[in-house]
Amino acid sequence: MKTTVVGNYPKIPNLPRPAKFRKAIADFDAGKITRAELERITDQVTVEVLDEQADAGIDLVTDGKIRWEDEQTYLARGLQGFSISGLLRYFDSNTYYRQPVCEGAVRWTQPITVRDFQFAQENSAKPIKVALTGPYTLARLSLNQHYATLDEFVLALADALNAEARALEQAGATFIQFDEPAILRHKQDWALFEQAMRRLTQGLTAKLALYTYFGDVSGIYPQILDLPFAVLGLDFVQGPKNWDVIKTAPFTKELGFGIVNARNTKIETKKELQRAFARIARFVALDRVYINPTCGLEFLPRERAQEKLANMVAAVGAAGSRDTKRGNTKTAKRGSAKRESAKRGSAKKIGAKKPAQSAKKSKGAKAKK
Amino acid sequence: MSVLLTTAVGSYPKPDYLMQARNRLRRKEISRPELTELERQATREWIEFQEQIGLDILVDGEQYRGDMVEYFAEEWKGYAISGLVRAYGNRYYHKPIIVGKVARQGPTTVEWWQYAQSLTRKPVKGMLTGPYTLVDWSFDEYYGSRRKACLALAKVVHAECVDLERAGAEYIQIDEPAASVVPAEIDLLIEAMAIVTKGLKAKTISHMCYGDFTTIYPRILDLPVDQLDLEMANSNYDLLDVFKSHPYTKEIGLGIVDVHSHKLESLAEAKAGIKRALQQIPAEKIFPDPDCGLKTRTVDEAKAKLELVVRATREVKQELGLA
Repeated sequence: MKTTVVGNYPKIPNLPRPAKFRKAIADFDAGKITRAELERITDQVTVEVLDEQADAGIDLVTDGKIRWEDEQTYLARGLQGFSISGLLRYFDSNTYYRQPVCEGAVRWTQPITVRDFQFAQENSAKPIKVALTGPYTLARLSLNQHYATLDEFVLALADALNAEARALEQAGATFIQFDEPAILRHKQDWALFEQAMRRLTQGLTAKLALYTYFGDVSGIYPQILDLPFAVLGLDFVQGPKNWDVIKTAPFTKELGFGIVNARNTKIETKKELQRAFARIARFVALDRVYINPTCGLEFLPRERAQEKLANMVAAVGAAGSRDTKRGNTKTAKRGSAKRESAKRGSAKKIGAKKPAQSAKKSKGAKAKK
Repeated sequence: MSVLLTTAVGSYPKPDYLMQARNRLRRKEISRPELTELERQATREWIEFQEQIGLDILVDGEQYRGDMVEYFAEEWKGYAISGLVRAYGNRYYHKPIIVGKVARQGPTTVEWWQYAQSLTRKPVKGMLTGPYTLVDWSFDEYYGSRRKACLALAKVVHAECVDLERAGAEYIQIDEPAASVVPAEIDLLIEAMAIVTKGLKAKTISHMCYGDFTTIYPRILDLPVDQLDLEMANSNYDLLDVFKSHPYTKEIGLGIVDVHSHKLESLAEAKAGIKRALQQIPAEKIFPDPDCGLKTRTVDEAKAKLELVVRATREVKQELGLA
């Protein structure tokens, strides 16, 4: 079993740690600091967040999407054809996003997340996964004032995000995830969704994941297994029906097993997590499972998010040592360890600038080498 | 019979001296009783202002509250205050965590209500947050299901209603801004509110906002309260069109000024809003007010918006010869 996260990570810590990212944005908005200074602090926070995930023991991390104001606008701002409008509720949460408005043909003109990926890659002890909002969800949460139909809008976005993924691959990204929570609310759009996913993934060679959350895949399973992704992410907390759904047909992909509730502060007991691991093992071999929170961690206070991750890793570790497929797990771990030390080599230069806590850690890494 | 009684939704902005005092308390530069004295002063000023402009049903302005959920979480047993979570952009808030059985430590808002009511002969509304919103805006580590948590919180809110009524409150407002977050949970919202308002003789009101009201209409008419308080101005009164599909049967708190806009509506716009509502709802069932709590506006903006509510209502009454 490997561990990963789904995407975003809380941007600010709580006292006594200073909320420097919040202050930086406020200072920038007030004209007190330059954009370059804001960028410098954003990079700093990104490094902290990479370190926190690594410290928690996560195998495959993201850059925490610190730069993403929400899951929609960061991409929409980078594409041609969008303006950004007022606040809307994000699904059934108490968070809000600014609605992208499509006012002209959607076009990808330049990389949006490539520099972010490169920065994360250079500063991470662990391999990086890039998580992008998928074309269907992006379209559903936007206001379309340009295309005659939703189909045209979604497919145009699929092409644009395909271009972004290609640029990421060229920059060295080996794992790209697309998040599509919206399809769970509009299953009648399956035919369009399928077409969009094929366009989205055309010609891509990286390992690809499709993540769903805030619901279950009943009604679109097992056909969702035919889509060209290596990993399918499912939410077993807000979509408890997924337990029944996966019984209905063999699960042929790797699974992103969303079992740690990223929307509640309550820490899962190791026992309940291990029971869930044993239960899922009946449907998917555990070496084909990524254990992860149900969705991005930004719904939680930062310290609780990290605690949840560490707890998840501990439960996996404890389960692993009792697991009969122990050999498998170990091989997988050795493989990722090798990749890790390669990454650390390239991170050395920037490592010197890291804050005290992570400097200590990279010393440890060196000693290991 | 009184018609078109004007009112307000709950919160008013805190004057500068009170904002500064709250910060100073956080830095421990003043004592809690010193802050309370300033909160009373601000309450007094708002009551005076509402009297002066001729508002009919007053509110205490919630000068002693921060956020409408966090306030109760701080006052009640069973809560922990968590770290900051982000709402949007660069806005963060402390989302409370339910960690045990929630219970009051005696009446929570009654003393403040009594203080406000002692300053005026006009009725002052009791002002509470409803169980569904209390649950939706908190983490739950104790009850384990939204239903269990809502029904438990409903009993707590009910006890507070009973105390307010006993103290003399004629109007009790139980706000449910989260009402339309999960339309499929409308039955739960109604079930919980039935517990809250059970046996009350006071007039009950529920304010809702921030959502797609159409997803819960007309079922929301079964919510066991006398009045729904709805934002109208910031959506160009399009709810009135929704009411054409199914007649609106309750009293309505009719929001005629947008609380999210710095811009003051024109007198003509505000009057036209009331008149549009009058075509569908009888005058004695309409209570003109702002769309929502005014705490996000400046004190001057809030006062101007309230004055406009009163003036527009007065002119409409004169023009139509309503009592």
